[in-house]
Amino acid sequence: MEKEKCFHCGLETIEKQFIVEEKIFCCNGCKTVFEILNQHELSCYYDFQQAPGMIPKELKNKYNYLDSPEIVEKILTFNDGQICVVEFYIPNIHCSSCIWVLENLDRFNAGVKNSLVNFPLKTLRVTYKQSEISLKQLVAFIASIGYEPQISLEESIGIKKKVSNALIYKWSIAAFVFGNIMLLSFPEYFEIQEFWLERYKKVFRYMNFVMILPIVFYSATDYYISAYNGLKTRRLNIDVPITLGIIALFLQSAYEIIFDVGHGYFDTLAGLLFFLLTGKFFQQKTYNYLSFERDFKSYFPIAVTAITKEGKEISKQIQHLKLGDRILIRNEELVPVDGIMIKGDATLDYSFVTGESYPIKKESGEKIFAGGKQLSGIFEMEVIHEVSQSYLTQLWGNPIFQKVSHKTITTHIDKVSKYFTIVVLTIAFGSGLYWYFNDVSKAVFVFTAVLIITCPCALALVSPFSLGNILRIFGQNQFYLKNAQVIEALTKIDTIIFDKTGTITTNQQNAINADNIDINLAEKRALKTLIRNSNHPLSRIIYESIEEPILETKISNYEELTGLGIEGTINDVNLKVGSAKYLNLNETEFNETRVYILINNQLKGFYAMKNTYRQGIEQLFYNLKDKYNLIILSGDNEGERTRLLQMLPPNTQLEFDKKPIDKLNFVKELQEQGKRVMMIGDGLNDAGALAQSNIGIAVSDNVNVFTPASDGIIDAKIINKIPKLLNISHQTLTIIKTSFVFSFLYNVVGLYFAVTGQLTPLIAAILMPLSSITIIVYVTVLTNYVSRKL
Amino acid sequence: MDKQQFYYDNKIVKLFLWATVIWGIVGMAVGLLVALLFIFPNLTEGISWLSFGRLRPLHTNAAIFAFVGNGIFLGIYYSMQRLLKARMFNDTLSKIHFWGWQLIIVAAAITLPLGFTSSKEYAELEWPIDLAVVLIWVVFAINMMGTILKRRIQHIYVAIWFYIATVVTIAILYIFNNLAIPVSAFKSYSVYAGVQDALIQWWYGHNAVAFFLTTPVLGMMYYFIPKVANRPIYSYRLSIIHFWSLIFIYIWAGPHHLLYTALPEWTQNLGTVFSIMLIFPSWGGMINGLLTLRGAWDKVRESPVLKFFVVAITGYGMATFEGPMLSFKNVNAIAHYTDWVVGHVHIGTLAWNGFMIAGVLYWLVEKLYKTELYSKKLANIHFWIGTLGVLFYAIPLYIAGFTQALMWKEFNPDGTLVYGNFLETVTEILPMYWMRAIGGTLYIIGFLLLAYNLMKTAAKGQAVEDELAEAAPLKAVSSFRVAGETLHSWLERKTILFTILTTVAVAIGGLVEIVPLFLVKSNIPTIESVKPYSPLQLEGRDIYIREGCNNCHSQMIRPFRSEVERYGDYSKAGEFVYDFPFLWGSRRTGPDLHRQGKKYNDNWQFNHLIDPRSTSPGSIMPSYSWLVDNNLDYSTIQTKMTNLRKLGVPYTDEQIKNAVITLQEEAALLEHNLRQDPEFIKNYDNKLVHEKEIVALIAYLQRLGTDLKK
Amino acid sequence: MEVVYITIGVSVIIAIIFFGVFLMNLKKGQYDDTYTPSVRMLFDDEEKNKKTNKESTKKETTNKQSITKQ
Repeated sequence: MEKEKCFHCGLETIEKQFIVEEKIFCCNGCKTVFEILNQHELSCYYDFQQAPGMIPKELKNKYNYLDSPEIVEKILTFNDGQICVVEFYIPNIHCSSCIWVLENLDRFNAGVKNSLVNFPLKTLRVTYKQSEISLKQLVAFIASIGYEPQISLEESIGIKKKVSNALIYKWSIAAFVFGNIMLLSFPEYFEIQEFWLERYKKVFRYMNFVMILPIVFYSATDYYISAYNGLKTRRLNIDVPITLGIIALFLQSAYEIIFDVGHGYFDTLAGLLFFLLTGKFFQQKTYNYLSFERDFKSYFPIAVTAITKEGKEISKQIQHLKLGDRILIRNEELVPVDGIMIKGDATLDYSFVTGESYPIKKESGEKIFAGGKQLSGIFEMEVIHEVSQSYLTQLWGNPIFQKVSHKTITTHIDKVSKYFTIVVLTIAFGSGLYWYFNDVSKAVFVFTAVLIITCPCALALVSPFSLGNILRIFGQNQFYLKNAQVIEALTKIDTIIFDKTGTITTNQQNAINADNIDINLAEKRALKTLIRNSNHPLSRIIYESIEEPILETKISNYEELTGLGIEGTINDVNLKVGSAKYLNLNETEFNETRVYILINNQLKGFYAMKNTYRQGIEQLFYNLKDKYNLIILSGDNEGERTRLLQMLPPNTQLEFDKKPIDKLNFVKELQEQGKRVMMIGDGLNDAGALAQSNIGIAVSDNVNVFTPASDGIIDAKIINKIPKLLNISHQTLTIIKTSFVFSFLYNVVGLYFAVTGQLTPLIAAILMPLSSITIIVYVTVLTNYVSRKL
Repeated sequence: MDKQQFYYDNKIVKLFLWATVIWGIVGMAVGLLVALLFIFPNLTEGISWLSFGRLRPLHTNAAIFAFVGNGIFLGIYYSMQRLLKARMFNDTLSKIHFWGWQLIIVAAAITLPLGFTSSKEYAELEWPIDLAVVLIWVVFAINMMGTILKRRIQHIYVAIWFYIATVVTIAILYIFNNLAIPVSAFKSYSVYAGVQDALIQWWYGHNAVAFFLTTPVLGMMYYFIPKVANRPIYSYRLSIIHFWSLIFIYIWAGPHHLLYTALPEWTQNLGTVFSIMLIFPSWGGMINGLLTLRGAWDKVRESPVLKFFVVAITGYGMATFEGPMLSFKNVNAIAHYTDWVVGHVHIGTLAWNGFMIAGVLYWLVEKLYKTELYSKKLANIHFWIGTLGVLFYAIPLYIAGFTQALMWKEFNPDGTLVYGNFLETVTEILPMYWMRAIGGTLYIIGFLLLAYNLMKTAAKGQAVEDELAEAAPLKAVSSFRVAGETLHSWLERKTILFTILTTVAVAIGGLVEIVPLFLVKSNIPTIESVKPYSPLQLEGRDIYIREGCNNCHSQMIRPFRSEVERYGDYSKAGEFVYDFPFLWGSRRTGPDLHRQGKKYNDNWQFNHLIDPRSTSPGSIMPSYSWLVDNNLDYSTIQTKMTNLRKLGVPYTDEQIKNAVITLQEEAALLEHNLRQDPEFIKNYDNKLVHEKEIVALIAYLQRLGTDLKK
Repeated sequence: MEVVYITIGVSVIIAIIFFGVFLMNLKKGQYDDTYTPSVRMLFDDEEKNKKTNKESTKKETTNKQSITKQ
């Protein structure tokens, strides 16, 4: 359907619409506003509040855990026992009316005193009176008007972290000082022997001196620290020469000004740091849009409902769950720990863990693993492992997750800067010595001059601006990388491992195969009519697959055994639909899921579901096969082998029946054979392997939902662009290398002046920004150019 | 904590609204009169207080401080209350601010025509009024900061920052530029001399434009355009960047008003560089304003208010493009001293300020009187003739400026000037002055329509003096879990206090810093032959200032062949060391006078002053006939000399003691010279000319720039 | 030319004052959110019912809603 414009905010209405008085709205907010506006009396607000059924049923219990004080404490940002402040992350915020509604909550609910929206961050900050409304009520209320807050202890507020304030201070100070020093240095650029200038230059110079101090002693500190750490670990990183440069600049200029021998280089120094910090700033900005440090826990409920010995229901934080605790798992809730099914019907969807989207029925007494999502009704279970020991956590407990950054990629910059520093120092000393024997007065100056002019500002700017820019461009195409090193790492890999389910296959449309079924049209329609009543994923798939219209007639004695099958009678025709188990047929192991149809107790055949592969997968593999050796690493059975074999290039290696831990070890082995591995997978079952491999890329159909810890997240839609992405990374590296050459050339020019002892402040002040700016422009333009085709 | 109900003070807004309208009419009317004087020099024949030299300052002051001034207060008082969700800090202060300001304007309107002027552009008011201005300004500042303190909304919207910038900087600049030593109730000498005075004057002059005519209006733009168009500003982030970058760059652009003058060259270069940098923030702001209306052009079509805004922003864009352009030395070499500059500033005032304010007036009258505008049609008509007026005003002046500049610079093959007689270059552009007058007329008619429209609207609506609003107080809670809301709001207060205190500190500190500075003898590289003015010349100079001769005659010959050829050797910094204040002027409606001395004999000067057209046919200079009637009042000559000595002029006790006698002797001598001419005897035989003001003025003119010839 | 002390001095001092204020703002999180304020300022609080709506429904309510203090 073509998109309608929201009657209120004029935005295009996304998927579901809200319609009042045949006017369409994009969101509840707009609708609400409109409704309120249509009433002239304020009373409408109260009507609105009392409106029955405003709070959907399942919301009722959803927030029970907010009854427990310690959880509330965790969530609140401020609480003086009376006034409370809480900040929610509300993904639904999307237009100005949302802002209006949310900032006028007090009109709907007296308990709310003040509410403030941060639109870019999609957060809402509410100040409310505890005595008048509880946090639980508040959340339920906000959810009820269409803005369900996303509450989780891990990432409650400020999901998208901003650039650290410290850096902003450092940068803005640099910028400010740079400007003013330029202003005060200008006169001396123009003419030197002017009467008034002669009189005032001292003043100007000392003002510069004063202003440079905050830069040298505050703004630049990061570089000293990094340089120091570098040296400690016996690595000559880029910051070493930078620090040398800064110190040289400062001392030389200080000397010149104090002993009134010259103008000094404070303008250059200020400019240098201004540019460097701008680079850093840019870098940070581009890096912080996705938080990668995801722990599976953050996808678990904060608390679950436990049942005390007395049978009372209390909410308990999952960390506090003990062996033998009885807990209730409601519809749509996640199983937080391993346990034994006690009573109720558990139909668990483990796609979260295995990527396998078919629900699994659990009988009482069966073992339940953490990570499953309950699909139907409520069940009760007993905890057999505390969160810390449960199957999932053990996987996550694997040492590789403990290692902070287990892949230290020595970047080009570091490699280069090592030799760079050595060369610079030799030149400095060399020329210093030379002058020492020819013209002592110049020796020191030349020495510092060399350090000054070779200060690798441009060099340091190359990577933030090239890699940073690429990072941004990738991001725009739903390919998010943890940091710039990953781009460099991408160019080094020689092996690519794909997970099967959910990675190269889709979780959405499953191919349904109805060949083995023969029923007449009437039966088909009856079947559709019946299945319509079940919301089991498989039922839905079959339902979709039948084009014929449904029958109007009623269904008699309808019955559904959740997770097993359904039965019903339409026009005296009795239909049974379900698994072999349900229909007690004896079924042998297949590589496909089957749903059998019984009509009047005779088998009419079965529907078979196979998983489909994403578009362009073949192409993808063929594009990659020459450069990389490709492996498919799947947790499923051999079922798909034949199909994959004929689909994918011959040299593709296929591995099946790999438990998560096997996958991890498999990657380890490859690495021990000296392979550099990129793993592409989804779901927690790949988490280990992803973390182990040199580069782990998590595939996701929706970047905001679960992705395991990884070096990058790729949107499933562009998975077949991987060759392109890899290619761009390669080109980017070439660009970087060439720009190194440029900055070296600049240095050579500068060195000429320095070594010959004729480096004037003016030359420095021109050369330095010139090199920096040209480099920035060069890399930004080119990186944009190479990635234009994305 | 619970919602509070409070009332916005609409009364004060209403007062400023009508003040804006009234002073707008006055200011423009005077402007029109001044424009007409270019075409009919005799229009106000013989009425001293209606002569061009005295009206021009009145016009500029009325336009800037009365019209735009009240306009920005109107905008500030309305928008600030709403942006901060608080009533103005204190009603009494508001009233004092309003009535005080109006009084100052009236005072100006009286004193300027009477010739009480300090001769510094946009700072002509004499010291007692200056004090009043500072006082009222402080009241305004307190009222504003107070409101910010008791605001009910955490974030301070960008518009407010523009307002703050205005309050702080204008205060400081105004004080520093107007530092003067009083001689009498209405006469004072700037504490700075010559080059220094020029520098600080234009440092102020430029920032008056920057922080009085630009930043507050930008603040209004950032409030009213989103409000009227009912859509958020195109990029709020950009607006923040716009503000801060503007603040940091504007301050030092001043010297671009003094390119090629005797100002040290590096100062000029500095001014140039910064002025050119200015285009970035300025255009950032313009684009931000225009793009806010993207996709809302349908609204623009039907809303006269938005129409005004669009043209206003465009005007801002033009003016801020021209500014940097005029700051290029080679462009400035042509444009300076010509009508180009006059056109440039009027784009700023008529289009940018005038239209912005007009739009706001139309919009606010509806808000204040809770009714629809009386006639949208009239508003549209106003818009169209107003726009036409602006074009008719500016374009001819650009042409005029360019033409005249080229004529000034045109040489014959034999190296003589093609237009040796300055008058030719004036008569050449008279048609342009006609068009300018027409443009002005159109503009003022439009504004009269606005006045009528507003009155009608007010009549049919009913004013809401205090408008009810409600908002929760600012319960400042730090984002971290400290129960330290006190601490936080303390921090809050600290910021504002910090601003106020430092401002005061700077003002005082600055004063302390410079007072000793100027008690010591100014150490310009003094040229031996340059001597202080004689008593009579000094009095003459003060008459020159009183009559505002500097409004049409520069005293600064730039080092160009064309100017040296026309006026004589170019001006040196050292020649102005005894000029309190400097009189370089900014526009050459008449020729430069710096080397005027001894160019013509006393009788020529005499006749020329009495009847310019008798000596120079076609001249558009008014006659100063009253100079022969008024007796020269030299009662304060000794005070003047002693004060000047304080400022570093080397008058000996001797000279000061004998000042009066010397003066009378000079006067007598001068009359004696005049009597060499039979014509003079015929007309003035029985008149004691040596007692009249004219002799003093002649004495001064004949002295001008002669020092080097000695 | 001592006046240069004033012009430059004062200019720099003013600049420093404003810069200080700027840092304060950063510190106080004035610029954490650089979008919402631009929308918030559009909402009028005086007339309770009239909000961001572009419908003309607001007009007649306007008068009713604005209270005059006696």
